[in-house]
Amino acid sequence: MTDLKAPVTVPGIVGARSGAGSVLGRISIPIAIVVLVVIGAVTSPSFLTPSNLLNVLNANSTVGLIALGMTFVAVCGGLADLSVPANVAMGGLIALGAQPAVGAVPAAILGLVVATLGGVVNGVLVGYLRINPIIATLGTGSVLLGLSQLVIGGGIVYGSPSAIADFVSGSALGVPIFIWIFVIVALILQPVLSRTAFGRWNLAVGGNYAAAAASAVPVRFTKGMAFVLTGFLSGLCGVLLALSNGQARPIIGTGYEFVAITAVVIGGSSLFGGRGSIIRTVGGVLITALIGNLIILIGFPTQATGLITGAIVLAAVGVDAYFRRKAGRE
Amino acid sequence: MSETTPASALRMTGISKSFPGVKALQDVNLEVRQGEVHAIVGENGAGKSTLMKILSGFYQPDEGEIEVAGEPVGHWTPREAQKRGIGMIYQELNLVPDLTVAENISLGVMPKRGPFVDYKQVTAIAKRVLEELDADIDPGTRLGNLSISQQQLVEIAKVVAKRPSIVVLDEPTSSLGDKETRILFDVIGRMRASGIAIIYISHRLQEVMEIGDRVTVLRDGRHIETRDVAGITPEQMVRLMVGRDLSEMFPKLDLELGEPVLTVNNITRVGQFEDITLEVRANEIVGLAGLVGSGRTEVARAIFGLDPVDSGEIRVKGKLVKIGTPRQGVAAGIALVPEDRKAQGIIPALSVRENFTLPVITRITNALLVLARRERGIVNGLVDRLKVNPPQIERPLNVFSGGNQQKVVLGKWLLSEPTVLILDEPTRGVDVGAKADIHEIIGEFAKAGGGVLMISSELPELLAVCDRIFVLHEGNLVAEIPRARADEESVMRAATGQVAA
Amino acid sequence: MKRVTFRTAGTRIVQYRLLVMLAAVAIFGAVSVNDFLTFDTFQSVLDRATVVGFLALGLTPVLIAGQIDLSIGSALSMAGITTIFMQPIIGNVPAALAGLAVGVLIGVINGIIVVVFKINSLVATLATLLIFASLALLVTNSYPLSSADPIFGIPLTSDLLVILTPRSAIFVAAALIMFVWLKATPSGRNLYAVGSNAPAATSAGINANAYLFMTFVISGFCAGAAGVLQSLSTAAGSPVAGAVMLIPAITAVVIGGTRLEGGRGSSLATFGGVLALGALTALLEYNGVPSYTQAVYTGLLLILLITLDRIVSGDGTTTSRTHRRGRVAPNTPSNS
Repeated sequence: MTDLKAPVTVPGIVGARSGAGSVLGRISIPIAIVVLVVIGAVTSPSFLTPSNLLNVLNANSTVGLIALGMTFVAVCGGLADLSVPANVAMGGLIALGAQPAVGAVPAAILGLVVATLGGVVNGVLVGYLRINPIIATLGTGSVLLGLSQLVIGGGIVYGSPSAIADFVSGSALGVPIFIWIFVIVALILQPVLSRTAFGRWNLAVGGNYAAAAASAVPVRFTKGMAFVLTGFLSGLCGVLLALSNGQARPIIGTGYEFVAITAVVIGGSSLFGGRGSIIRTVGGVLITALIGNLIILIGFPTQATGLITGAIVLAAVGVDAYFRRKAGRE
Repeated sequence: MSETTPASALRMTGISKSFPGVKALQDVNLEVRQGEVHAIVGENGAGKSTLMKILSGFYQPDEGEIEVAGEPVGHWTPREAQKRGIGMIYQELNLVPDLTVAENISLGVMPKRGPFVDYKQVTAIAKRVLEELDADIDPGTRLGNLSISQQQLVEIAKVVAKRPSIVVLDEPTSSLGDKETRILFDVIGRMRASGIAIIYISHRLQEVMEIGDRVTVLRDGRHIETRDVAGITPEQMVRLMVGRDLSEMFPKLDLELGEPVLTVNNITRVGQFEDITLEVRANEIVGLAGLVGSGRTEVARAIFGLDPVDSGEIRVKGKLVKIGTPRQGVAAGIALVPEDRKAQGIIPALSVRENFTLPVITRITNALLVLARRERGIVNGLVDRLKVNPPQIERPLNVFSGGNQQKVVLGKWLLSEPTVLILDEPTRGVDVGAKADIHEIIGEFAKAGGGVLMISSELPELLAVCDRIFVLHEGNLVAEIPRARADEESVMRAATGQVAA
Repeated sequence: MKRVTFRTAGTRIVQYRLLVMLAAVAIFGAVSVNDFLTFDTFQSVLDRATVVGFLALGLTPVLIAGQIDLSIGSALSMAGITTIFMQPIIGNVPAALAGLAVGVLIGVINGIIVVVFKINSLVATLATLLIFASLALLVTNSYPLSSADPIFGIPLTSDLLVILTPRSAIFVAAALIMFVWLKATPSGRNLYAVGSNAPAATSAGINANAYLFMTFVISGFCAGAAGVLQSLSTAAGSPVAGAVMLIPAITAVVIGGTRLEGGRGSSLATFGGVLALGALTALLEYNGVPSYTQAVYTGLLLILLITLDRIVSGDGTTTSRTHRRGRVAPNTPSNS
């Protein structure tokens, strides 16, 4: 159909873009955080204490790592990585299970390596073979999880006390190491996504795969790497959890993929790619963390978390879709 | 009613239509008779598609009246338009690939036997209509398995099955080969003979000359003229469409040609093209002509690295290069501005700046990070040079007009400082002003020593700017025509296979 | 030349994958297990595949329409809980109907979110998956409910006509009805049109939105049926019963050959996939393979099949002239 929006008399811009969409996008996360903090302070005296807040951040830092990886997956249009629980489990189980054989630190590294390899398999399937990411990661996840259970025989693995276990469970400058790790990784990944060539490639691949390919962007590599990265971070999450808990089971990572995806979506990145940033995801992690905390403080049963999170995802995506339609997006 | 003038099938009078900030149509008249093929020509943006959208009921005109078969229409909707006998056949076929031909023809109005589909009837209807159109297609075939031209015939069958009085064909031959165009013209002939009024929209003036009875020229949303085809020539049509002489539109710089910058020897890609040999010299603009389906885009993509080449060699500046991916193409000094801007040219959500620097992003980084200031500087310079309007590099590319988007696509490749610039339909969907700008840029590139390989379906464009024209026909190179001998006739003859390779 | 035959062999295997799989399972089974190839085995396989089978069946029209429904597991759990809960209150059969109604309700909710609020089905059903899984845990306080009348559900798995059981008979009947609907009625054909090229369907006068809505209701209904049958047969309403069934359901559909892109699919193919998966699971079980290892096998099978599919049919980026746009699948952000 011939191009409707190329009239001769108009100087180049068609359909003035409503300011509301972009402005709202930028301020909605800080506002949401502020609102939640206020609700928390009002509801419970113990909310605004350093110990509670640090606790909240601490509990969500490990899953937050996964959300950071999931951001790349979302931005490059990889939809979602549903093999996260398997990679978390692998990381944790191996980090502890291999301890007697190779020692604590090598075991931890081994756990990271195996989880990353899981990410590589995903990367090849999704990036190079162009298989639907949902199915591919569901498949690899179930294979890996099954393998991990096979290796353990379905039980629990216990870790022996070690220097590294003490380290990750401890704090530095009054802030738990988990939070440090999350912050450092976020600080590293933020410029990677928004200011490096690789980050630009991710945005291009998600924005228009064919155009990115035609623009000499290494599309398959880019998409694959997002899954490798998520695999690595999932493994890291598992390793940290296992070391600090002193034990690990295959179900250790259950549900983490949904928390991560929720954080990404609430943060405003689109699962279909082309838009997103690490900072937004950090905001999303904070919001989900605060919501979880509020649920406990208010006295809601913990099972309600999924309910409220799901509702918020719908609200966030719905509002975003509404504003984008209003802004006259083609 | 006079016996010599056939009855009017459609009369649109004084049609005006505005959109926010744009006057798409102003006081346009159109009258189409029964049993006539009435062509509508005009540049992109002239208002053809808006007029047709009004005719189909998709839009309401702000002013003006529509009369079908002499009777004025009341409230006009797509359903109403269909009921009154208007059938639309768009460029983008409205067919369902996963159903059969017969099911497609009866889609939405399937005859039933109780709660079930009456397949006997469905097949009968399809058979009857296909026979009327003399189309040799098995109604039980899955639609997606047919070729484009066959699919188009099915689309026509679908429309004809509803017994329309007016049929609109929008750029029907843009995806057809030459044999298939013949078939289409036969079908149009049959429809005309049965009294249907046919509106034929096309850029291909040769076709208009061949199939049309009368032609209406639109320009800038206005009705310019309606004349019998017998009383007009393609050059006159172009002048009416464009409003100025072609030579003004495409200023041609006389340059001295240098050494070959691109040499392609006997490249073949099975099923797409065979044994193609061509050459582009420095400062030269070489045209690649042919009907759609002749393999031009495929050759371009293969040279650039988007598709593989099965055999043959490619040399840039005499040096043999192996090009298997676009990255290798860029590294070898080749750039390709693709045919389908929306699908392959732009990243809509990204800003102008980000689109510009995409292919060369690794060249403006220091070890790790993109050098933001340098990027901005480069992009601002380009935006000025290309006259991108408005020059706001942070806005997402999807809010800009087609012409400006094309400039950005062109610009991003100029940024890669290529030796060879391949352009596939560089001014398709681009308004007149931007068109001239783009050609100026191309000319400058050639002047600075680059070589240009240009694919275009607009012959006037090719004829105006190219030093040589290679012509493809069904995957084979059949002619190389120097500027002096190039005219519409010689190119079309080669393109339609009337010249031995 | 060799490459060509390899490719054609691969194509053939993919086309006839169901038969290949069933044949392979039959052979391995006959070899490794006594009395594998008996009517009893078939009856058992079909019966145990019924619950996942209903999920897969309901998923089929959704996929044909180019959408996806990840919430079917949670819907199953909710329906099962409802049935068991309502048994002592309104009686056995009405309780089953109540369970079905819950499934339909969830389908309606999904439909509203996707069609009215225009939220993509992937995100929407991901969210409802979370919401209803969580709701199931909430209302049961994370413990499965025990049935007040455990005897009622027993006949469901008893013998019927040698190779069936009442519940597998219901499943087969449902599969047949859906098959006839999809292949032989105008609305079924219209559904394919919507999934294959929604704008074309719309301009032919088909109400694409209504069809999309309907597919979610169907998938909710089938998930509800699965939940009812599951809870009655086990005499318990578990809040997590459905969670583990999402992957096998998707695997069964993929084995059957229905694509995710929309426009293609068949309930018969899904039925075949369910049967094949069930046969494989039975084979593994009879050989003493623990359930987590089974997960490894089925996961590998899923990946293998979909990889073969991809290799054989090309990766969809080749500029084939006859390839047309028109997908409404989860991975297109804006529906034209």
